[in-house]
Amino acid sequence: MNKDVTYVVLADDDEDDRLFFTEAFDELKITTQVETYEDGVALMKALNCEDASIPNILFLDLNMPKKSGLECLKEIKKSKRFQDMAVAIYSTSASEEDIENTFVNGANIYIKKPSDFNTLKRILSDVVTINWQYHTSGLNRDNFLLRL
Amino acid sequence: MRGLKSIYNSERFLRILFGSALFVVLCMGGLAYKYIRDLSESFILVQHTYEVHIELEKLTTLLKDAESGKRGFIISKDTTFLSPLINNREKLAETLENVKNLTADSPEQNANIAVLQEKIGQSMAIFDQTLAMAKDSLTHTQEFRNAFTRGRFIMNSIRNKVNEMTMHENELLKERREESSESLSNAPLMVYYTLIISLCILLITYAQLSRSLKVLRTKNEQLETFKEATNQSAMISKYGNWIWHVDEETFEFSDNLYRLLGEKPQSFAPTIDNFMEFVHPEDQERFVDQVNQMYLNRDLPYLHYRIIQRDGTLKHFKAYAKLGKDSEGHQRLIGTTTDITDEKENYRILEEKNAELERNNEELASFNYVASHDLQEPLRKIQTFISRLEDKELHQLSDSGKLYIERIKTSASRMRSLIDDLLQYSRTNRSETSMEFTNINELIEAAKHDLAEVIEEKHATVKVESIPEMKVIPFQIKQLFLNLISNSIKYSKEDEAPIINICYSKTKSSQMPWLKSVKYKSYHTIAISDNGIGFEPSYAEKIFVLFNRLHSKGTYSGTGIGLSICKKIMNNHNGFIQAEGRPNNGAIFTVYLPVH
Repeated sequence: MNKDVTYVVLADDDEDDRLFFTEAFDELKITTQVETYEDGVALMKALNCEDASIPNILFLDLNMPKKSGLECLKEIKKSKRFQDMAVAIYSTSASEEDIENTFVNGANIYIKKPSDFNTLKRILSDVVTINWQYHTSGLNRDNFLLRL
Repeated sequence: MRGLKSIYNSERFLRILFGSALFVVLCMGGLAYKYIRDLSESFILVQHTYEVHIELEKLTTLLKDAESGKRGFIISKDTTFLSPLINNREKLAETLENVKNLTADSPEQNANIAVLQEKIGQSMAIFDQTLAMAKDSLTHTQEFRNAFTRGRFIMNSIRNKVNEMTMHENELLKERREESSESLSNAPLMVYYTLIISLCILLITYAQLSRSLKVLRTKNEQLETFKEATNQSAMISKYGNWIWHVDEETFEFSDNLYRLLGEKPQSFAPTIDNFMEFVHPEDQERFVDQVNQMYLNRDLPYLHYRIIQRDGTLKHFKAYAKLGKDSEGHQRLIGTTTDITDEKENYRILEEKNAELERNNEELASFNYVASHDLQEPLRKIQTFISRLEDKELHQLSDSGKLYIERIKTSASRMRSLIDDLLQYSRTNRSETSMEFTNINELIEAAKHDLAEVIEEKHATVKVESIPEMKVIPFQIKQLFLNLISNSIKYSKEDEAPIINICYSKTKSSQMPWLKSVKYKSYHTIAISDNGIGFEPSYAEKIFVLFNRLHSKGTYSGTGIGLSICKKIMNNHNGFIQAEGRPNNGAIFTVYLPVH
């Protein structure tokens, strides 16, 4: 895998959201490789494949059938293999409960799905270009939720 | 109790009174006895004196008879004259002996009698001598004359002696009378006085007794009233009493206890066994255990059990008892048994309602989730697709097509704010966070920070006074100020920059006449006033109702939820919010938070 290409993975059961996501990256002038999965089980199966490369950033929807985003997050954080992978929560809801739960379980950022395509593009561009090491060291509850 | 105390006091008083009355009557009796004894003594003395008198009189008469008999004989020489002379000698000796006996206690009289006896002896001797001479007809002799004269002389001296003795006896009588007369004359008066005193004591006693009786009667009446009231309250609040006489091992059940069991008062013997017949079979073992404990400890803690009445009705009872002593020192356990069936039933209903409420809350919570997630998702996609359409296809649309897109966009964003506000409203719950002491000025600053963009845009000024710390749910109060400030900015005049003043004061609840119930003494009062368009005073209450708007959607944007959220927040804090407005002349929103 080319080191200059950012490898981005999204797990979301919603077809439209997956479409917006890929389209947004298509329109962004960043060299990224985008992979999408339609539920948590498919995602974990692909990630746990021995010879699969580990994504730079994983976007996790919370409300998914079979395996929810939170369950995936817990599983991922248990494994040392994914310790360098940034996890961004990508959800419709921004309830305090969801934010709290994902923060406690080690997610790196919480993104509330925007209702405007241009906003989505801006968010994704921001997230991909974040210096994760720097971001994670100063992470707290207040800057966990991505505000625009 | 004061009445009873006075009775105890008067009881002591009565005892003292009776004691003194007894003493006075005893004294009176002693006095009377002494008086009567003195009287009878003096009577005996007087009688004695008269007896002496009579005997002495008899003595002189006898002597006189003898003398006159002697003279008769001397003159007539008839011997019949001599018969008294012969008889009288014996009588004389007898009488003399009588006088001697009567006056034996007086040495003076004894001496007199001795003299008298001697004189009588002499006189008798002269009698004999003169009589002998008269028989021999020697009456004309000098010797006879001498004897006769001597006889008369002796006779006179005897009479004198008798007189002397009588006098002496009279004097003695007089002396004795004088001696006792003083005490005798005082005695009736003393008796009279003591009688008066004892009568007075009796009267006081009577008065005291009747007063005590009156108090007792009043107390008794009160007791009767109390008993009746207790009976009534026992019936109304469904309780019965029982007494266990520990020493006799007997029970007493009150009338209402029978009624609680569905029986007529005192229709069966009050025993544990009879009572056990009513106790629910499942509770009997525990009941017996507790009763045994009661026998052991002589105390009964709260005991809950069920009973079944004869008609099959199930009742829940609660009992409690405590050991005490009666006035005679016997131990007794006084217990109360209450029918708590209604209480239990109400509790059950309450629990059901609570469960229902919890279910409702859960439903509401799941509705929240539906609103927050499922309802937002399609809307978000509509909005995203519109933005895609705008970006990529707008140039291909006709002017009306572009207008329609614009209209769809407006409606979609309005729906978004409605959903957001509704979510905000339904999330504004008391249970979410507990109250803590918070710097209110900081909360207002945070709200201002969130509104910085619009404040700058409208050139608004927000002036805030220093506000003390209060016990609040911080994020809700922040939301309150956010809503109120943005409200003021939203409804500002077009040609005038909004000026918002936030002032603090403290209000006593007595100065809030519209308060329905006073729970707190005073309230923190924060007034948020502006120079905006205001509103008709008649809408002052309506504006807090959910979805209520005073302006058309075209003129002012708004969902009609913001102020409802404010009201809900204040309810959560046991506070109030009030609005005051005049058309085109600003509005004042006043927030009252209780002082804890």
